[in-house]
Amino acid sequence: MRHKAPLIDALLGLIAGVGLVALYAPLLATAAISFFQVVRVRGALGFAPFSLDPYAALLANGEILAALATSLVVAAVASIAALGLALMFAFYFVSARRGLGLAMQTMVFLPFLLPPIITGLSLLIAFREIDLGRGLVTIIIAHIVFIVPVVYRTVLVRLQLLGSSLTEASLDLGASRVQTLRYVILPQMRPALISGVLLAFAISFDETLITLFVAGSQTTLPIRLWAMMRVGFVPEINALATLILLFTAVITFAIGMLQRAGERA
Amino acid sequence: METATARPWPDLLRAGLVHALNLGLPLLFVVVPILSFVAVSFWTLEEGQILLIPTLANYRAFFTEGSYLAVYLQTIALSLQVTAVNLALATAIALFIFRRTPRVRFLILMSFMLPLFMSYIIKIYSIRSILGQRGLLNEAMMALGLIDQPIEALLFSRTAIFIALAVLYLPYAILPIYLALDRIPANYLAAAADLGATPGQMLRDVVLPLGRPGMAAGAVFTFILTFGDFVTPQMVGGIQGFTFGRIVFSQFGLALNWPLGSALAVILLATTLLAVALAGLLLRREHVR
Amino acid sequence: MQPLLHLENISKRYGAVRVLEGIDITVAGNEFLTILGPSGSGKTTILRIIGGFESIDGGRLMFEGRDLAAVPINRRPFNTVFQDYALFHHMTVAENVGYGLKVRGRPRAEIATRVAEVMETVGLAAFGGRYPAQLSGGQRQRVALARAIICEPRLILLDEPLSALDVELRAQMQRFLKSLQRRLGIAFVFITHDQEEAIALSDRIIVVNGGRIEQEGAPEQLYRRPHTPFTAAFLGENNLIAGTLAAVDGPLCAVDTPAGRLAATVDGPAPPTGSAVLVAVRPEHVRLDAAPMPGEGLTADVADVRFLGANVMIELRHAALPGALLKVRRLADGSAAGLVAGQRVGLSWSAGDAALLRAGPAPAAL
Ligand SMILES: Nc1ncnc2c1ncn2[C@@H]1O[C@H](COP(=O)(O)OP(=O)(O)O)[C@@H](O)[C@H]1O
Ligand SMILES: [Mg+2]
Repeated sequence: MRHKAPLIDALLGLIAGVGLVALYAPLLATAAISFFQVVRVRGALGFAPFSLDPYAALLANGEILAALATSLVVAAVASIAALGLALMFAFYFVSARRGLGLAMQTMVFLPFLLPPIITGLSLLIAFREIDLGRGLVTIIIAHIVFIVPVVYRTVLVRLQLLGSSLTEASLDLGASRVQTLRYVILPQMRPALISGVLLAFAISFDETLITLFVAGSQTTLPIRLWAMMRVGFVPEINALATLILLFTAVITFAIGMLQRAGERA
Repeated sequence: METATARPWPDLLRAGLVHALNLGLPLLFVVVPILSFVAVSFWTLEEGQILLIPTLANYRAFFTEGSYLAVYLQTIALSLQVTAVNLALATAIALFIFRRTPRVRFLILMSFMLPLFMSYIIKIYSIRSILGQRGLLNEAMMALGLIDQPIEALLFSRTAIFIALAVLYLPYAILPIYLALDRIPANYLAAAADLGATPGQMLRDVVLPLGRPGMAAGAVFTFILTFGDFVTPQMVGGIQGFTFGRIVFSQFGLALNWPLGSALAVILLATTLLAVALAGLLLRREHVR
Repeated sequence: MQPLLHLENISKRYGAVRVLEGIDITVAGNEFLTILGPSGSGKTTILRIIGGFESIDGGRLMFEGRDLAAVPINRRPFNTVFQDYALFHHMTVAENVGYGLKVRGRPRAEIATRVAEVMETVGLAAFGGRYPAQLSGGQRQRVALARAIICEPRLILLDEPLSALDVELRAQMQRFLKSLQRRLGIAFVFITHDQEEAIALSDRIIVVNGGRIEQEGAPEQLYRRPHTPFTAAFLGENNLIAGTLAAVDGPLCAVDTPAGRLAATVDGPAPPTGSAVLVAVRPEHVRLDAAPMPGEGLTADVADVRFLGANVMIELRHAALPGALLKVRRLADGSAAGLVAGQRVGLSWSAGDAALLRAGPAPAAL
């Protein structure tokens, strides 16, 4: 039974309401403006009738589309690579001596715990030291370094939840370690793997602060947007923003569903 | 996997490879870069060239030259303000969610977390288009006759950065606080009520003390993220928004002084580590079950 | 005399599921009342309704003649000892115990004195500065008790407080609880699924099953004169033999069963002759004779002799009672030494030891 406290509840509700408005109003306004462009008639605010012009302009904007392509490539490569590494690290953690596992884990987590500015500039300096020119490769490496911890965490939690009894049962039935992995462990971990990769993809797709250090002349979508916004107001951005918001909402929803499914499994 | 008895060579080789990969890769891509940036902070810059001559000049510059120290202190003040305000807001919101029935909790929590997954740069852009001298907020207030001049303070000012950072990082504080509250056994609340506590006393004696670790985590997240953010201040603060993070970033861009930038980054890193340690110290007396 | 607490015809649903139906319970001012029932029978729900943690869908909850419906949890003059103790892990033992006084705004000095007194009562005088995590299970139990009694409630609610303790500690805590209740002179409403515990502690027991009250009464009364098959099977062991009531003579009854005519005693008015009934006999009340006695009791074949430490349990089969094992308990004093499987023996009992029950739904396997 809830313990009734109407006054406290009203106050908390008010604050929560203000919080929601503050979080969503800017995003919704941006989406609205993408369909009903803001016009000024003799200095006063007004809205143009519904139009998809910004979306048409967006499709015609080669720079944005190129950056979008770069971002998709980076996110895809980085999240797949991160998945492989995360699996390797997770198995190492559960099988190696505790001290070594913890040492590995601490190192792996660092880039996610440190402020992005630190991760970004230390990678920049390291790349410079080995004379690796800034470009697609450095961006991908930086993204992998940043998202491995996320995937690792998801994978490890699931792996530890599985415990050792399944593995032992499989080995007991005569399966080899590889067969056990193939037929028992990986199928059990599928929801964790998928949600981990999706999360990694979303983070990579959105990564801005670290990328700014290591991008060089290559531009991912956030970097391109950042550059365009500094110049001024571009209607296409509203259209793109709306599309990206929609896209992330869908991905987030999918991840949420997958993780709930994983918990129930 | 580890046995002391003699093993055939291929096995040893494979074990070695496993360790090399799992410890070597993080070492190479995480630890070495951090060490090298700390190292660079001690090198000398002369005529645009980095020389491997150890010096403390870069750190000395922080205290003596230009306005580094002043900007540093201003940025700390700004981050602390955002942290304080967001801590209060996030605690209230987490409590609000906590007091709903279990069925709707997840839904409300998700709606507060969703913006976390939305594009960072687009969030800044959206906030800017609302704030702004010619932003929707000013225009709307003028249209409603609330004001007759745009409020200058709303863009390219400290207030604007403050609002933008607060909105941007609010979810980061809500989540850990809510998770801490969610771990409070339902029986504790029943027991407190059973012993005669009013809802207010329950909040003071049970809910808030047990939510404290979450509040500390939320505060640390907020402080670290706002202190290190260099894009938000630039986008909504313009010239006015010269924060410490921006100074660091500019040393690797236009100013092109990597040693100084690294030294300032070391100071930034030390500050965030200090914040973590401080929070840990405050929580040390907490008793964990 | 007006009871301290009266649950009047209370019912409770969770969604479409009825978990309590027609619950009517009175609690006298200083009795040790136990609610006994198997897991899932609704015991906790009854306690939570009294404590104010659950709403009710029908009936009334009266305290000294006042309806408690509008009285919030924190104003009810009872305290609860929770099943998992619910000690606040962030407060010391003394802070936990003193919490009820603190929220009532009592001065510090008074709280300190009372806490010391109560801690003394539960035998934990030296433990005030510790945290719950630093105590053993039995000690936590005592802290939970101390916390509940410090505000001098009129009634204490205890939800299976001993279930987490090991056997020895449990026996010790049972004695302690009983003596504490006597000393404080207040009512305890105690929940358990353990019939031995209920019998050992209670002034009165209420047996619940499937959200309804099966029977209530003093422990001995329930044990000797169960009224329903459920009570007969749940409190101790019983041999249950189904049959039809053939004749009634005062409390004495004759029952026709597949194994012959058996004698039993009915408690209260007897059902009409011809109705389906059960004869319940405790294994320890069955006499065992090497040779069958003609016209009395029945004959059966020994199926197994099980040594149980102080007792020997003899299991027997009767050809006309397929599927049912009859049980006879004997002291392990060698008197059953000669018995071997397959041997035919005679069973008998005095009519006063056999209870006549109305046949109800078959009792759950126990
Ligand atoms: N919150 C609830 N929602 C739905 N059913 C419940 C809830 N709490 C208890 N029940 C059901 O009510 C019945 C009685 O539960 P309870 O009072 O806890 O039994 P006991 O304490 O005797 O084991 C059980 O069948 C249980 O499944
Ligand atoms: Mg129960």
